[in-house]
Amino acid sequence: MNATVIAIFVFIVGITLVITYYAAKRTNSASDFYTAGGGLTGWQNGLAIAGDYLSAASFLGIAGAIALFGFDGFLFSIGYLVAYLVVLFIVAEPLRNLGKYTLADMINARFNAKKVRGAAALSSITIVIFYMIAQLVGAGALIQLLFGIDYIWAVLLVGVMMTIYVLFGGMTATSWVQIIKAVLLMVGTVILSFLVLKNFNFNILEMFAQMKTATPHGEAYLSPGVRYKIPLDTISLMLALVLGTAGLPHILMRFFTVKDAKTARSSVMWATWIVGIFYVMTIFLGFGAAAFVGSDLITSTNPAGNMAAPLLAQALGGDILMSFISAVAFATILAVVAGLVLTGASAFAHDIYGQIIKKGQATERQQMLAARYASLGVSAFSILLAIFAQSLNVAFLVSLAFCIAASANLPVIVYTIFWKRFNTTGAISAILTGLISALVLVSLSPSVMSPEVGAAILVGDPIFPLTNPALLSVPLGFIGGWVGTMLSKEKDLKKYSEVNVRANTGGFRQL
Amino acid sequence: MEKVITSTEKQRESENENQVHERPDGHIPDFQQIENSAGFRDLMRRKKRFLIPTTILFLGLYLLFNIVISYTNWLDATFIGDITWAWVFAFSLFAMTWILVTVYMKRAEKFDEMAKDTLKEFDYDEEETR
Repeated sequence: MNATVIAIFVFIVGITLVITYYAAKRTNSASDFYTAGGGLTGWQNGLAIAGDYLSAASFLGIAGAIALFGFDGFLFSIGYLVAYLVVLFIVAEPLRNLGKYTLADMINARFNAKKVRGAAALSSITIVIFYMIAQLVGAGALIQLLFGIDYIWAVLLVGVMMTIYVLFGGMTATSWVQIIKAVLLMVGTVILSFLVLKNFNFNILEMFAQMKTATPHGEAYLSPGVRYKIPLDTISLMLALVLGTAGLPHILMRFFTVKDAKTARSSVMWATWIVGIFYVMTIFLGFGAAAFVGSDLITSTNPAGNMAAPLLAQALGGDILMSFISAVAFATILAVVAGLVLTGASAFAHDIYGQIIKKGQATERQQMLAARYASLGVSAFSILLAIFAQSLNVAFLVSLAFCIAASANLPVIVYTIFWKRFNTTGAISAILTGLISALVLVSLSPSVMSPEVGAAILVGDPIFPLTNPALLSVPLGFIGGWVGTMLSKEKDLKKYSEVNVRANTGGFRQL
Repeated sequence: MEKVITSTEKQRESENENQVHERPDGHIPDFQQIENSAGFRDLMRRKKRFLIPTTILFLGLYLLFNIVISYTNWLDATFIGDITWAWVFAFSLFAMTWILVTVYMKRAEKFDEMAKDTLKEFDYDEEETR
């Protein structure tokens, strides 16, 4: 590509490396590495949550989906935003009050059992890996298109950058990369939205009127049903989106970077405003791309519609805007994968090595070394998987990650905080039932099995009808937790009193 | 004479400080007693009175939206110009999210105060042990 895109690209990479250099100097303990010392303010963490959450799937995927399918594309935006109420009302504050670095810490504040920690670490790692492959495969395809380099080199480029941020700069570097990315993404989206609105004479009614005839779908474009025609499938997917966010380990981990529950709460507030405003603007991006680029060019560049936003930038702002938007997309990918590496590493190094193998007795030096080795391991493993997973459908992987998060993590979080009778057996069975049922149901679903050769991984009639199994696997997670609890006589009401008091007051944290 | 008093006062102060610092590590408080205290129960009652109805409301409206757009054509009618009711419902879900976040932020200040009072009642000052 041209010199402008290379200049902007090098500039962004340069800034993130400078940040990593300074962050590395301040990363001297496990707490610095996993939580940036817990010293972020509400707005900083709010921006970082937005930066962690708004993946390439959100920016490029939703813009493309709205461009191609109209209202149905916007459904994702609705689910992803309302999800923050679940995070704010149910999860954020108790998580901050009870946990230290990971979700498993929070659950173990109540049970202190290796098996529970192991199960929680397993579900976190599974979610991180699916999400990470989705991001890397998407990134590879995108960078291939943007910069004209081979898929493998594109994945390696992103992989090496994310490893450098996390390995040297830990959570401090990751947070600031996410903050900068969130700002860049908002600036880019505001510019694009402004240009789109200008072309519609800043008249929303005129915009809708034109969209009625701008696409091959005609009037249907403005109504639900263009893409999602099976009711239960739509409801199941939307359930995964609204409940999954509160169980995504890389989002949960962000709440440990602030000093207390009050700051955790205000960071959710910031994130909700930023993410919400962004999702409103996805409409302008999608409509603009449909009207000024056209669905033929969008699908011929990339069948899934992922190039809609960069193409829109090209159409309305020429090469310079296109270069800027491409660089923003690149920064978006980097910020999300760095957060994922850190989360995967925390599950391996803190939960499995530090707490289960070393029983919490690892020295500060051992913890830091383990964290860094784990980051390297997680990075290398996911880069390898991504190179072989090039043909997998990215949107499917992301919705699967949300489904596992909703089925395996949310039930155990809710029970840990609210259910007095809940016990160790219940915690393990809640996590495992949710995790296994999500994985098994999805592998029997139309996403994996299709009678058409080459349409999915396996050939054959799907045994389970829903593409996203959340409608069944989330209740199964809750039922699994209940049955497990009832099968065991164990109950510790004293411990629940402690957890209840600590979760709701924020006191007694050193215990 | 004055000096002596000051030094003993200082000593007492530092002893108090130490006690507050040591307390969470050394002596384990009776959490069931705190849980059953009037202050904590009032806090939980107020939290539940806010969180349970609002959670039912937002999840209910969200599910209703998805059920209505999936099973019916009710929202395909236009509201103003070519904007259909589906967009209006979608935007009310956005507005609902922002309103509930803002209302909760306000309510939570009161919850924080009540939590702090409960902790103080049981001799635990979160600011000092941090």
